[in-house]
Amino acid sequence: MEFTVSKADLVRELNLSQGVVERKTTIPILSNVLLEVSGERLTMTATDLELGIRCSAPARTKSGGAGTIPAKKLLEYVRLLPDSDVNFKFSDNHWASLTCGRSRTRIAGMSRESYPELPQMPEALAQLPIGLLASMISKTIFAISAEESRFTLNGALLLLRDRTVTVVATDGHRLALVECENPLDSPANYKALLPRKAMAELLKLASDTEDKTAPVDFAGDDNHLFFQLGPRLLISRKLTGNFPDFERVLPKSHSHTVEVDRDELRASIERVSQFSDERSRAIKVRFGDNEATLHSSLSESGESEESLAVEYGGPTVEIGFNAQYLLEFLRAVPEAKVAFHFKDAQSAGELSPGGEGVDYKYRYVVMPMRI
Amino acid sequence: MDAFFVSVEELFDPSLKGKAVVVGGPKDARGVVSAASYEARKFGVHSAMPLRTASQLCPHAIFIEGHPDRYRDYSHKVHAVLQEFSPKVEMASVDEAYLDLTGTERLLGPPLKAAHTLHQRMKQRTGLNCSIGISTSKMVAKVSSDQAKPNGILWVQPGLEAAFLAPLDVRRLPGVGKVTEEKLQQIGIRKVGDLARLEEDFLHRRFGKWGLALAGKSHGADAGSWFDGEIGSLDEPKSISHEHTFNEDTADAQLLESTLARLTEKVARRLREQGFYARTVTLKLRYKDFTTLTRAHTLARSTQLDHELITESRALFRKNWRAGEKVRLLGVGVSGFDETEGQLALIDGDKNERARKALKAIDQIRDKFGEKSVKIASGLAGDHAERVHENPVGLPGKRK
Repeated sequence: MEFTVSKADLVRELNLSQGVVERKTTIPILSNVLLEVSGERLTMTATDLELGIRCSAPARTKSGGAGTIPAKKLLEYVRLLPDSDVNFKFSDNHWASLTCGRSRTRIAGMSRESYPELPQMPEALAQLPIGLLASMISKTIFAISAEESRFTLNGALLLLRDRTVTVVATDGHRLALVECENPLDSPANYKALLPRKAMAELLKLASDTEDKTAPVDFAGDDNHLFFQLGPRLLISRKLTGNFPDFERVLPKSHSHTVEVDRDELRASIERVSQFSDERSRAIKVRFGDNEATLHSSLSESGESEESLAVEYGGPTVEIGFNAQYLLEFLRAVPEAKVAFHFKDAQSAGELSPGGEGVDYKYRYVVMPMRI
Repeated sequence: MDAFFVSVEELFDPSLKGKAVVVGGPKDARGVVSAASYEARKFGVHSAMPLRTASQLCPHAIFIEGHPDRYRDYSHKVHAVLQEFSPKVEMASVDEAYLDLTGTERLLGPPLKAAHTLHQRMKQRTGLNCSIGISTSKMVAKVSSDQAKPNGILWVQPGLEAAFLAPLDVRRLPGVGKVTEEKLQQIGIRKVGDLARLEEDFLHRRFGKWGLALAGKSHGADAGSWFDGEIGSLDEPKSISHEHTFNEDTADAQLLESTLARLTEKVARRLREQGFYARTVTLKLRYKDFTTLTRAHTLARSTQLDHELITESRALFRKNWRAGEKVRLLGVGVSGFDETEGQLALIDGDKNERARKALKAIDQIRDKFGEKSVKIASGLAGDHAERVHENPVGLPGKRK
């Protein structure tokens, strides 16, 4: 196999594969990227068996074929080359010779025979604008559980119903739900658990795509989910198991609601939580006579308190929350106003976008802390 | 308390009196000695020694199974007696306690008189002998009570602490084990007095912080970690654990997981007794060849519920056990305690609430009818006789 490809194209596409390449060396070949040339195109594939990504770039082909070389080393090296064309030539012993201007390098590779075969993408079930998908992911991804033992919570639930798309994530203590109208074609009703890592890669793909309305073709087979964005394809293994019945834990109604300025609340929590326990991150939020007061204290090192003016005339209610949980929502919500719904110190609180003109549903339900 | 476990056993079976008795199990069983009577100790038997070694050293000894419930009961009785003497009582283990008698002179009289009254009342109420050491520091009190054994009282008068310690072997100092003893011998230090003559700076350079603690101890001061604390101020445990050594090494996954469930259940019960919520679960796994691994996992939320802790300990086990490999010992521990529940659950909120109520009822039944009255089904196959040690390894100030 011998071909020439532009350095800029190569670096851009290889960058996308870095998050997917296996870091542990349990299966050595998974640290490699699979390079395949046919016609005038170079295809690059990386996988850790959970997640796979396939990208491509135009190439001038001298002879077709395939080979694998260490992904990380390749990117690190190519990145340092001058902006020019890079020539690849694979020899029979799987070594690759790279030539770029006056630079010449040989990299030890491995046979493509032992590289795992990625599944074929079935017929698309739906189309979603990449921008929409990415915004839904960034509104929910932080609520995914980091507890490995709760594997059905290690991803988000993706629901396609008629023309609405819903993404739900929870770690058992809080839950983020976002629901949008899909402007594109989504005829199918579909439900799947999308692993966190796949969501993170989709965010990366989105940030590398200028046209946020570009459509993502979405498909699924028994074990995998497929996201095709132009020439790039992301394949993820589905999470198996039952996602909890989230509708049951969504509060049906709220006793009280106050509207607050997002940035003001965020800044206050950030300051006050400096004096919360590092492990539990507990702060107290007190709603009383037109005032919301945030308070935290550490018996050994100090305490902090701030108050925000709000419109509230109900009874005084004091609720403990994990400051980190509140901050994560406040950093993800795009609207400048947020609504804080609550009942008492034992019941779930809820945050949602406030103000006028919110044309989608975004609910963030947080259980309090007993302090 | 003097030979606490054996003495308690003698109350239940007076025929054991004056004989060489080893508590821990049958002489050919796996596992270790929990306690030995003074007669058995003369033959070199001591706690934490393998039972088989003990039976070689002292073949005529009577080997009996321990009764942890009895020891706990009597430990509570001992505690009750001590509380009549001072509000500041610290149980350092099941059979060892520190009392702060500051300010009790008008009530109890001078130290020796108070100790004498205590000694008598202990015998009266519990039928057990104890030894009492009196001093101005916990450390010297501990050493003097050791010197007073069996059934004695020893008062080290203020100002004479260093003189009392000087002729003793360094090993007598709490915290000085085999390793430190060897290191000290290498520089020619055998007696506490030798140690006391050394410059603090020298010990600091040679042993770091521990060297400073050694210097302090040699002069009779409470120095180093636990001994720095006020009596009663460090009552709270930092971790709770249970472990089990199998009579026969096993690779039976069902038996192992069942044992794990039972051990975890016991841990959870003690956690609730102490009113703590734990954040970290630790698994201890010892293979046939004695390679031992401990693996810990920290939860996002602290808990004291059986099923949540069992889920964690089982996940740790499944992740770390090399399936098919024979296991000698299993242990489960919890640490990272919070006094409040902290973060409430959203998804399992009502399930946990039901579990909490059920466990509360179960704990009440256990309080009334004993620990074994209610057990989880998955732990039944793994319910082995409990073993406790008179001198648990790791407790402060314990000679091993």
